[in-house]
Amino acid sequence: MVSIVFAGVGGQGVITVAMIIGRAAVLEGKNVLMTELHGMAQRGGKISVEVRIGDYKSAIIPGGTADAIVAFEELEAVRNVAKLKEGGIILLSRRKIHPVSMTMKNQNYPDELIQNELNKYTMMNVEADQVALELGYKRVANTVMVGAVYSTGLLGLREESLITAIKESLPEKVWKVNLLAFEHGKRLLPVEAASSL
Amino acid sequence: MQLDPLLGPEGQTEFLLGNEAVARGVYEAGVSVATTYPGTPSSEIGDILYRLSDRMGIKFEFATNEKVALEIAAVASLGGLRSFVFMKHVGLNVAMDSFMSLSGAGAKGGMVVFSADDPSMHSSQNEQDNRFLGKFAKIIVIEPSSPQELKDFVVSAFDLSEEVGHPVLIRSVTRISHIRAPVKLGNLREKREWDYRKDTSYVLLPENAYKAQTSIVNRLDKVNSSKFRDRFNIAYGSSSTLIITSGAAYNYIDEALQMLNVRARILKIGLSFPLDMEGVIQEIERADTVVFIEEGGPFLEEQILSTCALRSINRKFHGKLNGAVPTSYEMDVDRVVGFLSKIYGIQIQTKNPVPNIPVREPVLCPGCPHRATYYVATLAMKQKGIKHPIAPTDIGCYTLGYYEPYGLGDFCFSMGSSVGSSSGFAMNSKEKIVSFIGDSTFFHAGIPALVNAYHNNHNFLLVIMDNSVTAMTGGQPTPESSPPFKRVDIESVVRGIGIRNIFSMDPYDLKNSLETFKKALSTDELAVIISKRECALEVDKKKPLSELTIFQIDQDKCNQCYNCIRNFACAAFYVEDGKVKIDPELCDGCSVCSEPLVCPFNAIEEVKT
Ligand code: SF4
Ligand code: SF4
Repeated sequence: MVSIVFAGVGGQGVITVAMIIGRAAVLEGKNVLMTELHGMAQRGGKISVEVRIGDYKSAIIPGGTADAIVAFEELEAVRNVAKLKEGGIILLSRRKIHPVSMTMKNQNYPDELIQNELNKYTMMNVEADQVALELGYKRVANTVMVGAVYSTGLLGLREESLITAIKESLPEKVWKVNLLAFEHGKRLLPVEAASSL
Repeated sequence: MQLDPLLGPEGQTEFLLGNEAVARGVYEAGVSVATTYPGTPSSEIGDILYRLSDRMGIKFEFATNEKVALEIAAVASLGGLRSFVFMKHVGLNVAMDSFMSLSGAGAKGGMVVFSADDPSMHSSQNEQDNRFLGKFAKIIVIEPSSPQELKDFVVSAFDLSEEVGHPVLIRSVTRISHIRAPVKLGNLREKREWDYRKDTSYVLLPENAYKAQTSIVNRLDKVNSSKFRDRFNIAYGSSSTLIITSGAAYNYIDEALQMLNVRARILKIGLSFPLDMEGVIQEIERADTVVFIEEGGPFLEEQILSTCALRSINRKFHGKLNGAVPTSYEMDVDRVVGFLSKIYGIQIQTKNPVPNIPVREPVLCPGCPHRATYYVATLAMKQKGIKHPIAPTDIGCYTLGYYEPYGLGDFCFSMGSSVGSSSGFAMNSKEKIVSFIGDSTFFHAGIPALVNAYHNNHNFLLVIMDNSVTAMTGGQPTPESSPPFKRVDIESVVRGIGIRNIFSMDPYDLKNSLETFKKALSTDELAVIISKRECALEVDKKKPLSELTIFQIDQDKCNQCYNCIRNFACAAFYVEDGKVKIDPELCDGCSVCSEPLVCPFNAIEEVKT
């Protein structure tokens, strides 16, 4: 049984990442629930997708019980910490998307506030964007993230299932680069940190 | 990507969104006709049927509004076909006039009306509980709890509808329609043949309507049998505390009981009207405490407690009616734990507080033509000395014009309400009235109100923001879309009413749009601006990657006047230590910010790649 919050901003592909993991669980015959919440904005609004694998009926994760937050944006990582259980981890792909109301007031991104909050938790940076750039294909950053989440062992899913799920979720012409991205993502986190979870 | 999972064979398990499961259910049930007007959280059903209807053998249509959609479906059913009409909860209000007549006519082919309610108002103006409308209209009400049940209950609802000859309302909510879960596919029912025969109950003249009342009662009586109960209701657990629940609320109870370490007997009701009252009363008689947990209003609770009152059955009852269970906003495990702990008398720990961090409000997309229209509107009004305009607005992405920096939004009740309310303001107010409506909303409910305004000589400026799609629900076609559809031209419609002051502008062209807007503001009678530019997301879908351009700010030229961030406010702008920058990953390359009317110092320029 595992509960994970995927958080980010509309347009970042958060839902696709959650979908791949959900599909992989279905391939293994497991029960999995996923709920997505986005308001009325098509792009640029906050998004959180909750995924629970196991014998659950509620797709919404109760407060303080999520095993992990997988975030694609810094502010959105912090926005969801109330869901995290004690000892839960945050995987963060560092990206700052400035809320328009702050920009209008000529305010900087709230780096300090975010760092103070994140310091209270076990946090791991995932250099997903950088790896994707190295692979020459910016858009595979999300698949790098899937690899990183897999490497924590939290999902309790087999690698083959994730690979099949990636193929089922994406068009054939981008399979190769995405599988490579997954492979790199797997090796991103410090091994000790990953295996101790 | 593999073959479309929604067309997969019986027995296959797919990871489906609730609304995808509904579409599959419609396919399995042998539906011949399906109609809708798009509305979140029901929209995906339409997207799927639009894409797959041919392969599913379904005649599917986006109608101009929910009432039209319902009438098309009603006729299909009266002609013996299985028909399905679906909408968001407030859409049923639009369809209500004909919905009220459905029960009088009954159903020949199975007929199912599907309502996706939106508790907590994730993307709606209220959280009305449409089960009450079903009962009010004397229509059978069914409530699924999960994507699997959405599919299964759609199929069973069609069977039930045909067996008793009466229409059925299925009530879903955001947290069922927008949940993904494994769904096991079923077999396909055969489609019915069109076999229309005249019947007096289809013409609800007073005489016929009078007779229809008796047949409604007879048909609903037929539902009161255990045969149907067993298809939709379940009960389990042993305890002297009975929880009566339904829909999404059910999903949170087992986990909440586990967390509190207490037990209850659960009665989950799927057939909510007419209720299997004998079955329910038997359960209540065995309990000493009864708790009602429902998503929305006290629908089951009111029905059941009136029967208990009539039969003098007294228990410790808890629910919305005695304030033990909250009546607003959607349920979740935390909320259920909260009120059950009080009912069971258990202390619980409070959860981690949510840190106080900046909000991220919904915004118009980078490149959105609505932003340009609003920018021009505010600028034109400023230049014309209009300090306190009254700006009724409407339902769509452009409702976001309400937020700063545009601040244009004085009134927004429902689809088309910008135009009706403008007449109300024009009748009484001395301020300039400038109202905003989208193309799809204009067709849906704006036209009758505009006829009214012209006919009664109301003076206001209506801006029709025409982006050629129903954008907020994901880009569905509108009556303007062509081919294979016939194209309806907005300007011809407006002209046909008799309105003379019609202006068109391309909002991306700020300079000319500003002149046009000022001219329109100077007219002394009803005027219409059609601001036309395709939705930026639709353009992106068609644009090849090689054509991507982006813009950036030349810091040497930037004078830090901040006009771009204060008054135009594209979501791609950000500020770092007083310097304005453009996030290259967010910029849509629309080029609007590079026009002198946004940046007077020509500091914003295209990035050469
Ligand atoms: S409008 Fe032009 S000059 Fe003024 S802050 Fe923006 S980029 Fe700089
Ligand atoms: S070109 Fe300017 S207005 Fe258009 S999306 Fe980019 S930053 Fe925004």
